[in-house]
Amino acid sequence: MPAVTRSRNASATQENPPFAGGAGMNQEQIRTLIDALAASELSQLEYSEDGCTLRLVKQSASASLARAGQVAGGACAAPQGPANDRSDARGASDGPRDAGVAGPAECLAPLYGVIHLQPSPGEPLFVQPGQPVAAGQTLCVIEAMKVFNEVRAEADMTIVEVLVRSGDEVEAGQPLFRLG
Amino acid sequence: MFDTVLIANRGEIALRILRACQGLGLKTVVAHSDVDRDAVYVGQADQALCIGPASPGLSYLNQSALLYAAEVSGAQAIHPGYGFLSENAGFVEKVEQAGLRFVGPSAACIRVMGDKVAAKRAMRRAGVPCVPGPDDGLPDDPQAVRALAREVGYPVIVKAAGGGGGRGMRVVREEAELLEALALTREEARRAFGNPEVYIEKFLLHPRHVEIQVLADSHGQAIWLGSRDCSLQRRHQKVIEEAPAPGIDEALIAAVGESCAAACRQIGYCGVGTFEFLYEKGAFYFIEMNTRLQVEHPVTEMTTGIDIVQQQLRMARGERLAITQADVPCAGHSIECRINAEDPDSFAPSPGRITGWRVPGGFGVRFDSHAGVGYRVPPYYDSMIGKLIVHGASREDALDRMRLALSELQVEGIATNVPLHRALLQDDGFATGGVDIHHLERWLQRRSTP
Repeated sequence: MPAVTRSRNASATQENPPFAGGAGMNQEQIRTLIDALAASELSQLEYSEDGCTLRLVKQSASASLARAGQVAGGACAAPQGPANDRSDARGASDGPRDAGVAGPAECLAPLYGVIHLQPSPGEPLFVQPGQPVAAGQTLCVIEAMKVFNEVRAEADMTIVEVLVRSGDEVEAGQPLFRLG
Repeated sequence: MFDTVLIANRGEIALRILRACQGLGLKTVVAHSDVDRDAVYVGQADQALCIGPASPGLSYLNQSALLYAAEVSGAQAIHPGYGFLSENAGFVEKVEQAGLRFVGPSAACIRVMGDKVAAKRAMRRAGVPCVPGPDDGLPDDPQAVRALAREVGYPVIVKAAGGGGGRGMRVVREEAELLEALALTREEARRAFGNPEVYIEKFLLHPRHVEIQVLADSHGQAIWLGSRDCSLQRRHQKVIEEAPAPGIDEALIAAVGESCAAACRQIGYCGVGTFEFLYEKGAFYFIEMNTRLQVEHPVTEMTTGIDIVQQQLRMARGERLAITQADVPCAGHSIECRINAEDPDSFAPSPGRITGWRVPGGFGVRFDSHAGVGYRVPPYYDSMIGKLIVHGASREDALDRMRLALSELQVEGIATNVPLHRALLQDDGFATGGVDIHHLERWLQRRSTP
């Protein structure tokens, strides 16, 4: 379900419907917005004016939308920058990533993109926590610009923890799985 | 008559449409996804509306969100750009039902051209030259299919009526392969396009891709704006385009162009459009019509001096065509390089933050792009981040200008195909002109096997 967020740019003219500019929003404006949302097929609506933001959410709002909102603003603590090699997964042999701290074995994202933990919606996950995987087995797919890049296990190992959610935007170098 | 246009697209074409609207004094509303909210054209629009999350299905393809955005913003027209909903007849109907103007042809025209068999039939009727082969779907009877293929002559190509743009087709070199190829293509077509109808055509071995730009008003007038050659392709994606198509008899192009304009008048086409042809051994063969603005429209703008997007908006406003065929010049030569965020060798996509950006300029150089330093190329959409276009007095002049412009262009932080373009501009075959549609694939193969 869609969300419509309305923002007004500096060059916007005052005669644009349906609201005139002014300090804050009045009850009538808010009621108009509620009616507009109710009459539409939309699940939520965000309206900003003069620093005030009103967010209206229908009760049926889908969970995926809420998640998408978090992702967009999500900060990533992982090291940024392009992957330094073309291998799909890196094991413990990579050693510590931070000086002096021996990090656990992790599989890092080879490129910036959107991660998919299952082949397509409704299908089972590629891998589950606790599951042993064989070298060459697909762990996840990272989608970038309509291209699906498979991330494969470099060696036989066990998935200890999945660190991302399907549909998340991941940075190049971001840890995706903790491996054992 | 509309005075406010909702731009239902993103990237360089959103900016291109915005500029055309502003040039005509029209107000603009940009409908954008969550990740595109900081794009430069969003800030330049009179209004901007976020219509959903990054995923195209939830934003740029979300028909109800776009219609609602138009209603909320007061826009009376929707410009679809290219891709996304630009050739979706169902969306056009909804736009019209909402009392809005779709900047493009009618739903009926889009539907006819979207069905490749119906399109071929309409083109034959209008006198446009087509690829040899029946303009009907293939029958179920194997004997009848074999007879048709024999009549066309091998090799043949089996194509899905619902396909296009290089999708849903299979080449058959001899009769033994025919029925299996037919069954496979039919099944793929059923799944991918929801329409199992397939047809056959003669398969041309070394054609060029040559297309004709048309412009038609809603009062029965249509003209053609010259030819383009888009033969440099990789996996059916155009890489470099130019206008005019080099080395083709002008009288022949004029005859084909006139047949395209006649076809527009006959089917009641309105707006801009492109007739795509294969060109081989001095003959043109229609393959499909794109019922929208195209990525490569700027090369035609450079050689004709006509702002195609402004004309498109004028036609949508119901204006009469103010240009006659005699007023359409073909001055000099123009070349466009599509600049993509992708590895120049592996073609792996390369989204990410642009940290350095030096754009070429000077006489005869145009760079259409929404990107810049600090812009983060999102991973959700296609990889094109800009178009470098040059114009020269002659083809040689344009090639020299493009080489210089490419040497000036620098993008840092992400990989781009600029090095590929630089190498292609040194290729003798391309420099000579008139290469076929397999030239780039062959060139890439040679490059990868030293």
